[in-house]
Amino acid sequence: MLLSFAQWIQFTTMFTALRGSANVYPIVLSLHMIGIAFFGGMILMTDLRLLGLALRNRSIADVVNQFRVPKRWGLLLTATCGILLAGSKAEEYYYNAFFRTKLILFAVVIVTELVFYRSVYANPEVLDRTPSVPVNAKLAAAISMLLWTSIACCGRGIGYIEPPLDKIHAQIHLRQDCALRAWRGPYSLKGQDHQDVASTN
Amino acid sequence: MLLLQIESIADALNSSEWVFPIAECFHIAAFAWSIGLIAAVDYKLLGFGIQHSKPSEVLHDTAPWTLLGLAVVLLSGPLLFLSDTRMYLHNPSFVFKMYALAAAILFNYTIHRKVAQSDSSSQAVRTVVAVVSLALWISVVFGGLFIAFA
Repeated sequence: MLLSFAQWIQFTTMFTALRGSANVYPIVLSLHMIGIAFFGGMILMTDLRLLGLALRNRSIADVVNQFRVPKRWGLLLTATCGILLAGSKAEEYYYNAFFRTKLILFAVVIVTELVFYRSVYANPEVLDRTPSVPVNAKLAAAISMLLWTSIACCGRGIGYIEPPLDKIHAQIHLRQDCALRAWRGPYSLKGQDHQDVASTN
Repeated sequence: MLLLQIESIADALNSSEWVFPIAECFHIAAFAWSIGLIAAVDYKLLGFGIQHSKPSEVLHDTAPWTLLGLAVVLLSGPLLFLSDTRMYLHNPSFVFKMYALAAAILFNYTIHRKVAQSDSSSQAVRTVVAVVSLALWISVVFGGLFIAFA
């Protein structure tokens, strides 16, 4: 069922166009990365404050509230672009182990947000009243850092898995040039030696 | 001679299939960190998102962590580059990225820093500086991603 959904969605007009476009696809990917920067930098700062490692002269409430709005804009940009990217290669990603792991980690993020939202993020002022940061807030921050870093690495990992071409219905443009290396990873992964890389230059 | 040395570094980097992806993960996590924190200062300069603090405070709070992020970026980046120097040097996106990066770092530690440190600069100046800063760093990210599509 999931597979047929993936096949259906990737052949909708919008996603077919996005997949086939030489320029729009990398632009969406770039915007996805920029969203990650805007979102990730601030989430890390919030987490470091909760752990008591950074900005200790500022109240937790200040730090959490300060970064809340820009963090949400960053998340919105990242998620929008992410959905566009995933939708345009839905069938290929269905088979991708890193993509699957990434989705599972998102589910874990949502669960941890639900668990910690009331006690940590909704009322950061309360955390400032105790002499040291409560354990559950530190735990929330540590889990957040671990999860988001893993999600970013899984996202990068998606590009390293060769799509199972025999199972995929969408047309995939295989690139022969060296630049692909930066996208799919080192050629040595595919059993070619350095000479091949040099000769295609 | 130098060329031979670079070749042997490239061979070492390419000998394990894990070196490149791991260096890449560090590169991505660290650029997200440093650019995100610079963006926090820019948001403040633009006057939205961040309340209860002056630009100088946001800069002061984030600067050491931005520098740490940039240090990791500038250590992992050359590793990626050295794995295949010829490809990168012939890649127009990479060349663009290097110019944009040099401009962005220079701007960040001169004009950007000065305006963010001064809590008395006019809103017009702040806006221009924040927009230029965001544009420069966004160019760097675009340049980096387009290496794979050039």
